[in-house]
Amino acid sequence: MEQPFSLTSEVRENRLIITTNGYVNNVGGAAIAEEFQRHFTEGVRHVIIDLALSRVVNSVGMSFLIEIIEKLTDAGGRLVFTNLDPSVDKMLGIMGLYDFAGREATTEDALRALAIRS
Amino acid sequence: MQDSVIVHHVTFTGIEDPVDLRALGQATGLADIAIRVRTALAQHFRITAVDVHVRGADGAWELLAGSAPVDPASVPPVGPDSSGTVRFWAEGMQAIAVQCLHDGRILAIRVDGQSESRRFDAQDLLTVRMALMSADAAWAALQHRRHEKELVFELNRRLLQLNSLIDTGIEVATLDQAVSPCHLALERAVALTNASRGTVIVRRDGGEISRDAFPPDGDATSAGGTYRLHSEFVFQGETYTFEIVDKETRTGVQAFDGTDRLLLDALSRQVEASLENRFLLKQSLEKQRMEQDIAVAASIQQRILPSTLPEIAGYSLAGINIPSKSVGGDYYDCIPLRDGRYLLVIADVSGKGIPAALLVSSLHAYLSAYLESAFSLVDIAVRLNTAIHRASTDDKFITAFFGLLDPASGSVECVNAGHNTIYCRRADGEVVDLCKGGIPLGMLDLGLPYESEQITLVPGDRLLLYTDGIPEAQNGVQELYDTHHPLRDYFASHIPATAGPFIDALMEHVRSFVGDAPQADDITALYLMRRA
Repeated sequence: MEQPFSLTSEVRENRLIITTNGYVNNVGGAAIAEEFQRHFTEGVRHVIIDLALSRVVNSVGMSFLIEIIEKLTDAGGRLVFTNLDPSVDKMLGIMGLYDFAGREATTEDALRALAIRS
Repeated sequence: MQDSVIVHHVTFTGIEDPVDLRALGQATGLADIAIRVRTALAQHFRITAVDVHVRGADGAWELLAGSAPVDPASVPPVGPDSSGTVRFWAEGMQAIAVQCLHDGRILAIRVDGQSESRRFDAQDLLTVRMALMSADAAWAALQHRRHEKELVFELNRRLLQLNSLIDTGIEVATLDQAVSPCHLALERAVALTNASRGTVIVRRDGGEISRDAFPPDGDATSAGGTYRLHSEFVFQGETYTFEIVDKETRTGVQAFDGTDRLLLDALSRQVEASLENRFLLKQSLEKQRMEQDIAVAASIQQRILPSTLPEIAGYSLAGINIPSKSVGGDYYDCIPLRDGRYLLVIADVSGKGIPAALLVSSLHAYLSAYLESAFSLVDIAVRLNTAIHRASTDDKFITAFFGLLDPASGSVECVNAGHNTIYCRRADGEVVDLCKGGIPLGMLDLGLPYESEQITLVPGDRLLLYTDGIPEAQNGVQELYDTHHPLRDYFASHIPATAGPFIDALMEHVRSFVGDAPQADDITALYLMRRA
């Protein structure tokens, strides 16, 4: 069962890993963007967002994710989504997010993909 | 004329554009554009006093880049169609240029601090003007890019809504899903309409049966929330209400629009269709299970009814049972007893189907048990009446005829428990009615007595035991067989050499009368004749 929105984050190998839990809407999206911005200003340029516990994303929440992608792209970085529910995966695809962001099955896969990239 | 065009062209291309348009193209907003323009002009004129201002619809000037506030009196008038106006004052040591932007706001650039030796000339004037136009073009391009991005986003969002609607329709129709159709539809409704939360409530007779919210802490029916939208349907007496609250934007909430209404209604209808399909499937499975149960009951009943009848020396015996449904409520048998006698029995349970079949089973079981004891036939009838009364509901009873045959003497003790009159045809053609006995078994348990009558069969005598399915067999116009062909007469006039042909002929006669009309009742008959 999905919970009220919360997130945790950690930086591993200079990669920011944000793990969300709950509805990625205006509140959730803003929380993700805020957490991203805090690390972005400190120089983090590769981000992994683990959406395993977020089965529902609305377009307002998605607009925050797009902003993160744009900032990272401008800065030569990359965003990778992991542990996606099939419906969220399809949603991100239709909204065109995979044109500029990646997706991997697990966080470990994403870390490996970003290591090859950099 | 030709010369002046050439001169104009040469003059224009000779002006230096101080602003790098590529750099302007990367600007992220009007303030960023202003900073880039200011930097470029400051570098070009090698001065620091360059300010960029914007005037909004309220007429107030806002400083975008630089430090000095604008003096409204120094700004040349500019209309909405102005493509740029430049004005010099202080004897050419200051310049201020204004441009009406594409969005209607006024952009102004003030350049100050030229020295006596370096006054603004016509070329500087054009340089400032070009910078201003570049800023306007960059701002327009940025706005177009943003607008295009918004259009693409909105287009994708519509595509997503359509796609999600189709997917949800398929998913809620899936029967083995972990998430309930209501919850799934609620999640999708909240996400696709950008609602902040939603609830689905199921009510019956005004009372709440269940409530589901998404997010789990976001009950839409709780206080708070400015904008609400709901959709409901009634299925099997239960009212399903979907309610969503507050359409989110990046800056707050707004009212739901017509598309949101369509989406919520469509998702709600998908759940209704899914529930209906599940209900129909459940009914179909129940029917299937019931048919399987009936098949098992029919199989059990077939074991109760005799597969073959005993061979009785000096007698010919034949019987038949044709149930009108898979399982019937008729019963017949010829049970050999330990003392060499035989009990002929035929019975008809009121009603049909499984309940009747169950009562037939009870009769068979009780009769088998009582026959093991040394009860008289009348006692057996009394006990059967009590037992069946206890085992059945008030509207169920059994009519039965019992004939206890001593094959050696030909004597038959008869008890008719509310059954049709049983016929005995003497060898000389006389037909004797056998109807003495008592009430149907299980009808009343008041201790009413049963009585028996005795007959003796001599060679050539015959007995016909039957159920009402034969005389009451109906043809296509609801006429009764017995009305056209009294069974008593048929029995009297058809005297084959053995029992089997009589049963076959009787069945064929009934069938030819009934024609294509469906069989309304079970048909059972038992025929006994004494040969020697």
